[in-house]
Amino acid sequence: MKARNVARIARWETTRSAGDIDRETAVAFVVVLVALAAIVPALVTMGPTPGEGIYRVGVSEDSQYADVVASDAQLAAVDPGAEADVVVTETGITYRDTPKGRAALSTLRSATVSYNDFLMGQEPDQAAAFPVVVSLTYLPQSISVTGQPANGGQQTGGDTGTGGDAGTGGQEPQTGAGTGTGGDVPTTGGGLSGLLGQAQSGTPSSISPPFPLQSLVFAFAFLLPLNVVIQAYGSSVLAERINRRGEPMLVAPISRGDIVAGKTLPYLLGALALISVIAVATGAGALSVLAIAPLAALFLAATFFGAMLARSYKELTFVTVTVSVGLTAYAFVPAVFAEVHPIAAISPLTVVVDSITGDGVTAGQLVLSMVPPGLAAFVLFGLGTGVYREEDMFTQLPIPSKFLDALAAPLTSQWRAGLWTALFLPFVFVGELFAVAVLFVAPVSVSVPLLLGAVAVIEEIAKSVHVFAGFERGQYDRSVRNALVVGAASGVGFFLAEKLLLVTQLVGLPELDVAQAAFSPELLGASPGLLLVAPLALHVVTAAVSAVGAARSRLAYLGTLALAIVLHVAYNLAVVVVSLG
Amino acid sequence: MRPRTRCPSSRPVATGSQTLKPPPSFHPAMISVRGLEKRYGDVTAVDGVSFEVDAGEVFGLVGPNGAGKTSTLKMLCGLVEPSAGDVTVNGFDASETEMRRSLGFLPEESPLYDEMTPRGYLRFFADLYDVDREAANERIEAALDRLDLDARDRPVGDFSKGMKRKVAIARSLVNDPDVLVYDEPASGLDPLTTNTVVEFTRELADDGKTIVFSAHDLHHVESVCDRVAIMRDGELAATGTLADIRDEHGDVSYRVFTDVPLADSGPAGDRHVTEVDSMADVEALRAEAGDAGGEVVDIRTEESTLEDVFLDVTGT
Repeated sequence: MKARNVARIARWETTRSAGDIDRETAVAFVVVLVALAAIVPALVTMGPTPGEGIYRVGVSEDSQYADVVASDAQLAAVDPGAEADVVVTETGITYRDTPKGRAALSTLRSATVSYNDFLMGQEPDQAAAFPVVVSLTYLPQSISVTGQPANGGQQTGGDTGTGGDAGTGGQEPQTGAGTGTGGDVPTTGGGLSGLLGQAQSGTPSSISPPFPLQSLVFAFAFLLPLNVVIQAYGSSVLAERINRRGEPMLVAPISRGDIVAGKTLPYLLGALALISVIAVATGAGALSVLAIAPLAALFLAATFFGAMLARSYKELTFVTVTVSVGLTAYAFVPAVFAEVHPIAAISPLTVVVDSITGDGVTAGQLVLSMVPPGLAAFVLFGLGTGVYREEDMFTQLPIPSKFLDALAAPLTSQWRAGLWTALFLPFVFVGELFAVAVLFVAPVSVSVPLLLGAVAVIEEIAKSVHVFAGFERGQYDRSVRNALVVGAASGVGFFLAEKLLLVTQLVGLPELDVAQAAFSPELLGASPGLLLVAPLALHVVTAAVSAVGAARSRLAYLGTLALAIVLHVAYNLAVVVVSLG
Repeated sequence: MRPRTRCPSSRPVATGSQTLKPPPSFHPAMISVRGLEKRYGDVTAVDGVSFEVDAGEVFGLVGPNGAGKTSTLKMLCGLVEPSAGDVTVNGFDASETEMRRSLGFLPEESPLYDEMTPRGYLRFFADLYDVDREAANERIEAALDRLDLDARDRPVGDFSKGMKRKVAIARSLVNDPDVLVYDEPASGLDPLTTNTVVEFTRELADDGKTIVFSAHDLHHVESVCDRVAIMRDGELAATGTLADIRDEHGDVSYRVFTDVPLADSGPAGDRHVTEVDSMADVEALRAEAGDAGGEVVDIRTEESTLEDVFLDVTGT
């Protein structure tokens, strides 16, 4: 690939595409851009705030907590006698023993701390009390739990703590928030444990909101340009294939890589430019742009590959919608759990959320959110470029047939089956991460078996589908011996690449039961040798089983693939059962 | 993996940013095709085709639809990878990117970007071939002048099929290639434009370009080509000069007119005509007429047309 050729084609693509846009479309695009530029900063500065007033606090107007409630947008003051999530009385605080009640209490505590900090920050002379040092300490006071609505039948009780010595801040409301020990910690809820700094884990039912809703909304804004850009990009790629328009360029002294890179570059840069604007507007910072860049590349790569398979603009629409929905879900669903669950680390949007909220972003989090989509994009561009040639570009074969063409094209030798199995690992990774993100909401007794099945399906398909394509397209001779060799190569390739999954250790994802089942099901107490040999044997055997079927016929492949999946599930179940003792 | 054939001594020598092409006459054959095969699954489109084209020669490829002409031309250009066999153009293997600098290709259709103007389109391709701007502008204007295309700054989407064809032809010339591969250059054009294109091809041949082109209209082949290859079912059914092919596959008949009726003659106005296949038969008729008291008054020779030869060779 030559940079000069790429730059030439990129420049041409930019001017040509600009010339291809009619006046109405250009005007509409400018209007959308202007609106986006105007709305995003407005959202940041003036709201509306997502979740505004979602927690009702029963507090009288003359209470010191009335000002606290008024200072936080998520809290809404109601009469103490009305239905509320938290009720502040002269004797203490009562909250409902529900996720929302605990979340309301958490928010009230945070708001109290913030309010006190705000008041102290208003002091014009911060050194007025010198040499007296003011240390604000929050001590537990009366916090009662009720399973009923807080406005009636409360079961008050527990320790009634003191307001604590707040030094000069004695006039300010104090709650049990902060780093002190709780008074009565409800045994059923996870809310207080979270507030007290304990690690939260488990399913959403045990996770206390609030989620960083405002940040999530802004993070979602990062996905919007990608969904717009892939429409234009997909059309441009498909246009090269309509009426054989791209044929003359294939005869020019440039490589296919030059053409693909040149056509892609303007759209990637355009997407990154729009993302940068949004990052500036939301205060997300450069790290957010960096984190989103591989996702942007994956949006484009998936669209490119789809556009290379689509036979018409109608099919291209199907492709772009699938890409939009799939990748948006991949990025957004885990990010919903930003700050509350390690599963969020797989999403680049979590980096955006953490950047906006000011939370730190670890190197492991960055790697986990960027590497899988980046590698997946690389492989998809590779597959698409493989069929960016006269023999494939201009034929009107069905999508599955062209998909097999794309998979078979690089299989010029037996060992390449292993190489491409390894290259498919990002997709396996992405698929399994997404499965974890979707299934972890279910109880472990349900999610783990389901995930074991999903993992087996994903991995066995990744190990065999291109092998099947190789036999179907005549890249490999249909013999059992050949099938065994190719299958073994595929299994070894998968085993070696699978070790890359150790990156999940960086963010502690395997601490989840469900993630452990997906990424590191290991035999407790087994020797290191067995830990290496057992999975290697599994992958080689199951890949060989599938390959034998693939060498015979399509129907035989489906049968042997099912058998391989069953073997894989049985292995995983055995490992989990043994591990759990 | 196909072995690459290359003439190491004929590789262009890179000096700085300049790439010097070897002179065309350096190679005995500008284009060499040996044992070329192309299979699409179970279908064999091209089966063991071999030929050579000398520098400055115009080589025609004719045959019915599906004979393998276009597949052969595309393998010649490196657009399609052969299943077997070798193709070298100007000393380069056809799969090499550098080979394309020596080549101008005109596909059967005229695939253009409707939103671009001829000048913009041609400059872009000149840029891809590393042609400097000044030289590119000169070549583009010269080519469009010769092709008589005046609308140079209008989007080609507004153009007729003939005008688009002219732009496509001009594109094949922006790099001033030694070899031109034209696939049905006059296909689907009106007679006037067809004539322009054929004339232009003839001029390019006069300029010394090596040209390989396919055509359905055999008169174009006859008027332009030095040699012809006739393809049938993916194979070369005949190769050579038109005279050679006629001699080998064509028929010659003699219509002998006499002033007296002969045994096998028929009436032809106030004369009598007998059709025979050889001069020996003509001499025999002359003797027969003399014996009958008459003489041979006219002899007309009728040769097979190229179409007749084509139909005979291709079995259609």
